[in-house]
Amino acid sequence: MTRSRLVVLGATVVVAAGAMAALGALYLDPARAAVGPLPPQALSLPAGTRYVMGLDIKRFVASPLYAKYAAARTANRPQAFEELEQKTGLNPERDLDQVYVAGTQAGVPGRNGDALVVVTGRFDRAKVARAIETERKGVTSKNVSGTVVYLFNENAAGKGSGATAFLDDNTLVMGTQASVEQTVTARAKGEAPLRNNAPLLALLEGVKPGSTFWMVGDQTLLSNMPKAIPGPGGPGTSQSIELPALKSLTVTGDLDPQVSLDITGEAADEPAAKNLADVVRGFVALASLQANQKPELKQLASAISVTTEASRVHVAARVPYEVLDSLQPKRAATAAPPNAQ
Amino acid sequence: MSATAPRLTPDSPPPSAPADGRDVTRPVPFLRAVKAVFDLSLEGMVWSRRSLLMVALLFGPALLAVAVRIALTRLPPRVGAFDLYGLMIAFVYVRNALPLAALFYGTALISDEVEGKTITYLLTRPSQRVSVLAGKFASYLVTTLAMALPAVVITFFVLNTIRGWSGIGALVPELFRDMGVIILTLVVYGAFFTLMGVLLRRPVIPGLLFLFVWELLANAPGYLPRFTITAYLRSLIHHHPPDEGLAEIFAQVLPTALCLEAVGGMIVVFLAGAAWIFSTREYVLDQ
Repeated sequence: MTRSRLVVLGATVVVAAGAMAALGALYLDPARAAVGPLPPQALSLPAGTRYVMGLDIKRFVASPLYAKYAAARTANRPQAFEELEQKTGLNPERDLDQVYVAGTQAGVPGRNGDALVVVTGRFDRAKVARAIETERKGVTSKNVSGTVVYLFNENAAGKGSGATAFLDDNTLVMGTQASVEQTVTARAKGEAPLRNNAPLLALLEGVKPGSTFWMVGDQTLLSNMPKAIPGPGGPGTSQSIELPALKSLTVTGDLDPQVSLDITGEAADEPAAKNLADVVRGFVALASLQANQKPELKQLASAISVTTEASRVHVAARVPYEVLDSLQPKRAATAAPPNAQ
Repeated sequence: MSATAPRLTPDSPPPSAPADGRDVTRPVPFLRAVKAVFDLSLEGMVWSRRSLLMVALLFGPALLAVAVRIALTRLPPRVGAFDLYGLMIAFVYVRNALPLAALFYGTALISDEVEGKTITYLLTRPSQRVSVLAGKFASYLVTTLAMALPAVVITFFVLNTIRGWSGIGALVPELFRDMGVIILTLVVYGAFFTLMGVLLRRPVIPGLLFLFVWELLANAPGYLPRFTITAYLRSLIHHHPPDEGLAEIFAQVLPTALCLEAVGGMIVVFLAGAAWIFSTREYVLDQ
């Protein structure tokens, strides 16, 4: 074998080993989800789900943001967690893995409360069940397809204001009675109603893998958003900028080592996408213009990129924590020390 | 002085019949000729000063990734590991290093033989001229892929395992996508610079101007990016690092299907053009 062929063979071995390792990591990953970032048990969500959000608790708790802001600011937080742990045996920072929020009626006035919350982690079921039964008054329970569903404030007609149930040892579901019962029934029958929601599944497949937080939804998620924003003349003037309607929205983000946010919006067509991208770029340019007065805005503006791909608009932001700190309002001067002159 | 310059035309007869009785009146089969040229070219291409430079260029990001990995244990991280990997793929490899590698190898495929006056030995063999070009292009591809793909794989694993192996499975599709785009980048730029190499006598300066002046149109508004190669390639990868200047204002991502069609079309057109010019060109060698 010639020297050149040896080099090519060596390169092939490196690439093949890398590809094998990558494939192994892909198929042996214990956190491998069923669809996009969703675990198999979340596929029991109702087929009519219009939006889903997720938060990776492990990544969130390990992030500098949590360490910096949440943990440092609230002095009584450990006490609240201690009480929760005493009652339920649950330490959210340690025991929870993922939280998913799904719903169907985000944009309908008066029906924003139909969200269904799915929490995965490690629960002491007996302790949690006892806490649910004893800590609140008006808690009743019923058996739905072999699963105990706890109802809150059940009336004479058998309707509760809310419900919660364990889908399995590691999955707790909370929400309205109807949606919880629907999910429990689907899970008991081994059905995956969410698989029938092709548009939502397509959006879920587009979620950036391994994100700390993410959200996908169709236009109902955005129906409460303003249709227009004040123009350069400010509020109250006749000038305003019409915002193109979005058909869907995908948001993914990470918090380590900096705040990373990727937003993808699907507009009606390519011109609408370009229009929306121009609006976002306009705001970024305005921030850049303010850089003389606030130099930190220059950094913020350069951390944001806006691109269009056919009818889609991508906004990517990578904001270091130093920039976030610099954007915080300056704290009021602390009290003068007692010995100050 | 080139008073007695030999002319090598496409229908130049073989200089003499071999002593072993082989039939030299019929050309060598295409694939056999390609393989022979490939074997010959690969040895000269892999072990060359040019390859040393290209190894430094293509393995530079991998070394940088190792440095980042070592430094990250002591320094506060400013950029996420996957973002840094994306920056290396989009900016270092697809935008700069791979087109440069294609420029230096692609333009030299034929012009090195002409300048070294060794093209005589290739063109006087009983084989089709296209097989010479195909064999040389194949050796260029193997050489550059043997340098680029391991570097990318190493960069991927070195950077994305900084915080452990958990979650790397989710990034694997990006690795395979990036490897595919790197192959396409080397093929399409290689085809383009091969065409320039057979078309122009001094192709390196125009090639550099194309890469670092013309390709900037990819950041222009409207349909102008569609007249560049890099706009299609960068649209195929998912990494879009924040830009500044024109790119920040007008950045657009072209549809994947359009990109694949355009890149495929360019590869066919550039290679066919290079093959046609090389097959019909009359090479006059200085004495």
